[in-house]
Amino acid sequence: MATATAWRTGRATAWRTWQTTRRAYPWTYAVGTVLPAALTIALGHLAFHAIGAGETGSGFHEGPYLAYLAVGATAYQFTVRLILWSAKALITEQRQGTLGALLIAPAGRLPYLLGFTAFAVLSSVAEFLTLAVVVAALGITIPVASPLGALAGALALITATFAMSVGLGGLMIAAGEAHISQNTLFCVLGLLCGYTFPRAYLPAPAQWLADALPTTAAMDVLHGSLTGGRTLTDLAPRLALSLLLSLGYLLAGLRGLPRAEARAVERTY
Amino acid sequence: MSGLRPALRIFAAEALKQHRRLFGQPLVVFSMLVWPVLQLATTYYTLRPVATASPAAAHWPLSADPHRLLAFLATGTLAYAFFFSLVQSAWHLSFERTTGTLELLFLSPAGRLTLMLANGAGALVQNAWLLTCFTAAALLGFGTLSVAAWWMYGVVILALLVPAVAWGAFLNSLLVFSRDSAFLYTILDEPLWFVSGVRLPNFALPAAVRVIGTAFPLTASLTAIRGALLNAEPLSALAPTLTWLTALSALLLAAAALLLRVGEARSQRTGRLTLI
Repeated sequence: MATATAWRTGRATAWRTWQTTRRAYPWTYAVGTVLPAALTIALGHLAFHAIGAGETGSGFHEGPYLAYLAVGATAYQFTVRLILWSAKALITEQRQGTLGALLIAPAGRLPYLLGFTAFAVLSSVAEFLTLAVVVAALGITIPVASPLGALAGALALITATFAMSVGLGGLMIAAGEAHISQNTLFCVLGLLCGYTFPRAYLPAPAQWLADALPTTAAMDVLHGSLTGGRTLTDLAPRLALSLLLSLGYLLAGLRGLPRAEARAVERTY
Repeated sequence: MSGLRPALRIFAAEALKQHRRLFGQPLVVFSMLVWPVLQLATTYYTLRPVATASPAAAHWPLSADPHRLLAFLATGTLAYAFFFSLVQSAWHLSFERTTGTLELLFLSPAGRLTLMLANGAGALVQNAWLLTCFTAAALLGFGTLSVAAWWMYGVVILALLVPAVAWGAFLNSLLVFSRDSAFLYTILDEPLWFVSGVRLPNFALPAAVRVIGTAFPLTASLTAIRGALLNAEPLSALAPTLTWLTALSALLLAAAALLLRVGEARSQRTGRLTLI
């Protein structure tokens, strides 16, 4: 019975969000996703050919540079998109004045947020098909060392992003602020988690900080199984670490959410 | 000159308004210091595999020295922040429509172009001083500066400020009459750094992109700043760039004046200034 309600909540949320987006913002989101990633890949492409003359330095051992960059830039934009949808779900309700109605509805918060993530994943697929055209037009081919590993890496990345979004969404409604917290998180993730360059370049303290984020290990799995030439067995420890960290973030987020909601409601009324 | 005193008073009033609106705001600290610095680090590391390749030094001598590469990207980040902060301020100016004060601005006898200039310049000073201090300290600390004469610093500041203020006046004039300003915001954020050579030297960009880039004052501004600060180019070497920059700034101001005139006449006829 409980699962049936949860399923219906999640499905209804995803469907509602699809309807809103289709009617109100048909292009803004798509342009905002595809453009930054495409420009990052184009930047790498130009630098690689005009400056590096098709070579990379001896310190780079992650496989073909452009394929690595294409995977990283796409995954980064995917993370940003997922956080924008899932973490901002509650504060959007607050701004539109529907948070109170949501809180007294008998729908669980977890399926509600999962519904948002499901929508974000599905809508991103269409946007990433556009990116694939850009990548193909630049003549970049992405080697797939382990299809199963890539799938596991992508799922781990979705899980990690969702786990972080739950807590962040709580912080946003408690603080009544989204712009600064979301963009700071995007910049930090882009720098630390090894999306567009190997983490080994960073100073040691920054690497410790990166290890505390579940997205880092998820990106290791994704990069490793595509351009890194590793198998799923090689990457299993990183995959397990990512899932474990995600679980920790998710539990902490779900624990903090009721308090954040209480604070948001008390501040409003 | 009877028009100068009112113009100066409008300038002072707008500057005070922007100071009260922006100074000490967390958003300014984050968007004009924390984010640019983090993005600078990300860009530097992303380009590092290419910059350390063995043929790189022959194509781009600057890339051989990590400090000089960082200085190249830092000047790009600084100039980009100058221009982008004006996109942001123009976006804020369009909020006057929602708050209902836009109509009052146009009812007042204040000179329209002065108002737009003052608004942009005020926002620029309030926004950019943090990152300017940080970049100046970093460049001096790394010891990568190589300048032909001390007064070239003055040329650099002018090459950054004048086109940025003209760009701000142009954007303000454009956005004040537009009801969908968010779209322009998206268009001018990411593509601006790409076509202007913020993160790449100009020679690495394809010809078509370079042609588009010349229409943006940021491109020429960056060429002048980098030439003067990093390559010790004298004024004579930078003269063509600076001339183009002056022409472009004058053109932007003329376009702003025209837009304001046409836009105001149109909105007087249609009453669109009160529409949200």
